[in-house]
Amino acid sequence: MTNIEDHLDIEALKDLKDIMENEFETLVNTFITDSQSKLDELDEVVAADDAEAIRKLSHSLKGSSSNVCALKLSEMARELEAMGKDQQTAGAQELLLRLKQEFENVSQVLRNNL
Amino acid sequence: MNNGMDIIESEDTQDEVLRILIADDNDSDRLILQTIVRKEGHVVYTARDGQEAIDTFREKSPDLVLLDALMPNVDGFEAARTIKQLAGDNLVPIIFLTSLRDATSLADCLAAGGLDFLSKPYNRIILQAKIKAFASMRRLHETVQQQRDEISLHNDRLIHEQEVAKQVFDNIAHPGCIDAPNIKYLLSPMAVFNGDLVLASRKPSGGMYVFLGDFTGHGLPAAIGAMPVSEIFYGMALKGFSLQDILREINKKLKRILPVGVFCCACMIDLSFRKGSAEIWVGGLPDVLIYRTKKHELENLRSTHLPLGVVDNDRFDTESQIVQLTKGDKILLWSDGIIEATNDEDEMFGEDRVREVILATQDPDHIFDNIEKAVEIHTGRDEQDDDYTMVEATMVNESELGDYFGERGVSHFAGGPKDWSMTYELRPQTLKEFNPLPLITHLLMEVPGLRPHSGKIYTMLSELYSNALEHGVLDLHSDLKASADGFARYYMERTQKLESLNEGYVKFYIDHKPVTDGGVLTIMVEDTGKGFDYLAKEKANHRTEGYSGRGIPLINTMCRSVKYLGKGNQVEVIFDWHVDV
Repeated sequence: MTNIEDHLDIEALKDLKDIMENEFETLVNTFITDSQSKLDELDEVVAADDAEAIRKLSHSLKGSSSNVCALKLSEMARELEAMGKDQQTAGAQELLLRLKQEFENVSQVLRNNL
Repeated sequence: MNNGMDIIESEDTQDEVLRILIADDNDSDRLILQTIVRKEGHVVYTARDGQEAIDTFREKSPDLVLLDALMPNVDGFEAARTIKQLAGDNLVPIIFLTSLRDATSLADCLAAGGLDFLSKPYNRIILQAKIKAFASMRRLHETVQQQRDEISLHNDRLIHEQEVAKQVFDNIAHPGCIDAPNIKYLLSPMAVFNGDLVLASRKPSGGMYVFLGDFTGHGLPAAIGAMPVSEIFYGMALKGFSLQDILREINKKLKRILPVGVFCCACMIDLSFRKGSAEIWVGGLPDVLIYRTKKHELENLRSTHLPLGVVDNDRFDTESQIVQLTKGDKILLWSDGIIEATNDEDEMFGEDRVREVILATQDPDHIFDNIEKAVEIHTGRDEQDDDYTMVEATMVNESELGDYFGERGVSHFAGGPKDWSMTYELRPQTLKEFNPLPLITHLLMEVPGLRPHSGKIYTMLSELYSNALEHGVLDLHSDLKASADGFARYYMERTQKLESLNEGYVKFYIDHKPVTDGGVLTIMVEDTGKGFDYLAKEKANHRTEGYSGRGIPLINTMCRSVKYLGKGNQVEVIFDWHVDV
């Protein structure tokens, strides 16, 4: 990972941590578990080329990742959502791969911040 | 009604605890949101999909709903619609949680009943602001609803109160003789709440009083004054008080009880059928019209006084206008409702139109109806929902009015004094300032069953009293009254002598004994005058004729006997009466 700030809004994350206090760990764990299961589902629907399912899952991921300050991840989810919405799924497979990589990065930073 | 104030005050307090439902299928998002909201001090309920949101809403009825748009099972849009339905009249603000940006999706949120959006990532400050804004909106809505309910409650109560008041009013202001054949009137059933009032009463001495009043204002404030007016009018008319006395009493009462700015425009008429004249007092009402049947002409009688209840009695002027009338002549009076009735162009009906209608009417019997019709045509309304009040009083022969029974309804025979006597001596100072007849009449009317005879009794008392005072104590000669010139001199002398009076009295001795179905009333009047040679007169004139000006022939037709006693300074009248079945 090149630079943390390319992946996460560090200031906002500090605020979030202040707000969540003890719950921050729960939040991080919840986010990681929840997102992991969404990514697993995405694997399936991308393979099946189900545009509507792609749209819904990535929409949800876009929202939750933005809430944990993962700006880059959220942006990539938005791109994937747009593909689903426009039913232009060529390149979805490749985007999903990069998205998973980004998720690994974010998860690592979040865990380190506990 | 301080509820409104309390609510507005509490708006400033930061720590109002709201119960907020958060529905989001995304666990981490929901966790963040509920943590923020809880930290603001609110109570949070959570739901993971639309169906759970609906169920929780039903169970907890929260104050505010934060609803994710895209959720499994039942989505946010549908949940919003159901929640709105469940909330019914209550305002439950729904804020959509969404990262949707396109206009169609946002429009869908609004269509489903959402009032605002909160987008991800959540911003604590924005969320705080929105919760506050919607909480106060909800309170406002509650206040409005509460006030709406209160208004409708007040309205119901007001209508109920008006009905009760109307009933009380109708009991006090019984129609008197308003249905007499020489009276026509127009008065809406709830007119008393427009401040309009029509009263009519036969007088014990013959004749009739007619009163039309128009109070300022509407509703209860306007109606409240009508009650004492009616009570005074009927009470005093029955006891034989004069038009001036009645007006003064009403004015005094209204001045005392009504707030400044509330008064009663009025017209009062004393119709004398025997004399063929009317005494009219107008204060603040539109011109009274006199219709001359024979000449088919109209005369105006302008208001020359302030309304009743404006000035104190020492400045109150009861000077009336006397109009000579022949049979069939009509007096028309109205409140300003008729004159000021407007058409669609806001043009008033006006007095000119009233005159036109009257003069265009050939049969005088149709004048009243034609005016009413013309006003209806002018305003384009056939329903009588306005405060048009109008009275027409026609000069007739007294005999056309039928018998006078003083008061409507059945007399009460139970209770009350039946067997009694009294002596009432009036000395100079009293003779100067006081008319004892209403008081004595009032006393006699307490005798059960006697009231229908009040007309005759009043006539007898007043003849006997004026004889005793004028010919007895004051020693005036009725011969004087024979000429118009002498008439004036008579009254001048009467005034002068009365003013300088310092000795003498008029004494009433009244005795009532009950008999089966009636009673015997003996009235003896004694004065300190010289008396007269009644024996000679009796012989010469066979009982009744020749007591010039003493009204004795009239009394004689009314009672069993009239007897002079002593040196002619005492007179005894025996009146037998029976209950008319």
